[in-house]
Amino acid sequence: MSILRLISIPLLILVATAGPVYWALPEGLGLARSLGIVAGWAGCGLLLASLLLMLREARLAQGLGGLERMYRWHHWAGMAAYVLLLAHPLLLAADAWPDKRLLAWQMLSPFNQGWPVWLGWLALLLLMLGLAVTFEQRIPYRIWRWLHVGLGLGVLLGLLHLVMLGIEQPVWPILGLAAFFLGWRIVREDFGLAARPYIVQAARPVAEDTVEISLKPLAEAIAITPGQFVLVAFFSGPTFRGCGEFHPFTVSALGAHGEIRLGVKALGDCTRKIQSIEPGVMARVQGAFGNFMTERAGAPQLWVAGGIGITPFLAQLRAGPLTQQTLLLYLYRAEADAAFLQELQALAVHDPKLSLRAVATGQTVPDLNTLLPVAGDLAQHDCYLCGPPGMVAGLRKALNERGIAPRHIHFENFEFR
Amino acid sequence: MRRLYLVATVLFWLLVAAFWAGSRGLPPAEESVAVVTEKSFSAGELASHATPENCWMAIHGSVYDLSTYLPEHPSRPEVILPWCGKEATEAYNTKTKGRAHKPYADDLLAQYRIGKLTPAQP
Repeated sequence: MSILRLISIPLLILVATAGPVYWALPEGLGLARSLGIVAGWAGCGLLLASLLLMLREARLAQGLGGLERMYRWHHWAGMAAYVLLLAHPLLLAADAWPDKRLLAWQMLSPFNQGWPVWLGWLALLLLMLGLAVTFEQRIPYRIWRWLHVGLGLGVLLGLLHLVMLGIEQPVWPILGLAAFFLGWRIVREDFGLAARPYIVQAARPVAEDTVEISLKPLAEAIAITPGQFVLVAFFSGPTFRGCGEFHPFTVSALGAHGEIRLGVKALGDCTRKIQSIEPGVMARVQGAFGNFMTERAGAPQLWVAGGIGITPFLAQLRAGPLTQQTLLLYLYRAEADAAFLQELQALAVHDPKLSLRAVATGQTVPDLNTLLPVAGDLAQHDCYLCGPPGMVAGLRKALNERGIAPRHIHFENFEFR
Repeated sequence: MRRLYLVATVLFWLLVAAFWAGSRGLPPAEESVAVVTEKSFSAGELASHATPENCWMAIHGSVYDLSTYLPEHPSRPEVILPWCGKEATEAYNTKTKGRAHKPYADDLLAQYRIGKLTPAQP
């Protein structure tokens, strides 16, 4: 990743935070009150940056180092803002402590205040509840997604709290930007205005609970390379009823006329429903996203796929013969789960640079140390990993122990909660 | 990150509870704000303190030296500064928008009382 892309998000966060803090930098106030004011404005700037980082625009994602990276920073900026905004009222109240304890409580307590402060409290409580929901993995994604929007509402109420306090000059532009980012995300991305229309041409089961879907563009096709992923929402067909929400899928093949194929494993309610998809179903496709495998060097390569994580490697292999010596280690639980195995074996026979090692690991966690090549065989290799987060974490550790530097280990988490 | 959320949230509510507990059971001297002096100031004297650095206001018959408080006032300076050196009861009562200040503000204001305004001679 280029230096510019590497520093883009930290720089963006720094500007968004330092700008309002510099504008509101207090002079001549007590230490606690000054810190409280700085915490409030820094939290405000971090939330604004966090809102920008949740936008799913392919060009923006490309400039900022990828959607997965944007989401990771979105989470961290949001959490840092939350901690600072919790500290904000406490520090303001602490200014009067311990000499004027009643005054300190009156400054904190919403019972002694009016709408300006009530809005601040409401915003803080919405952030608190919204984040509690964010961490709750058991809530179905469809409900979770809209509850997560409550966090955006909290941001807007927090900014209105400032307006009600009479601090209008820098807040209206910030409020406008925050509303713009939220509206952009909801209208263009959640409602799919930015997505391109596609139609399902074919769907075939490729393993247990896994289907490969062929999509044909109905308008201009998205630009995509092997290893990238798209966000797709499936709607309804003659008998199929899609859930209509966007989910990330890595492409498993690219056609000459913009067609794409996706491997979909039943991992949740929506993807389970997709298993019964039929030709003629309308879909909307956003992207493409991700840098996985897009900047490959000429060094020999180790690819490790876990289950449906085979799709980016398959897309690369289907795109043409390899130019680098490559070992593909394909891990799956049982033969019934081994999607595309026969095709991979055929590809390995015809491509002299590809070595395939397919391993059924069973229901237990495999011993990655015995599956990976020894350190000497991995010298000068670039390693690409795609699979469940636990497996990728285990592989990174095992590869580090074999002396592979982190810059030679490439992976992406396709986790969007 | 989940752990950070839990720790920060629990700590926040514990500190809020601590502030509340700290405000309970105070000796009477801390509950009411003592008036240190009871000087009288004329309208002319009040008017001579009409700058942001030296800002007095008369509210409800009392005179307040708000010079040190002004930077802390949440509204824009142009809202409050014109009232320096003046009788500002109406502005205080309505915040110039028909909205009264809250009891918290009354308590805060009392901290800055320096005396009373001498009634104008008929």
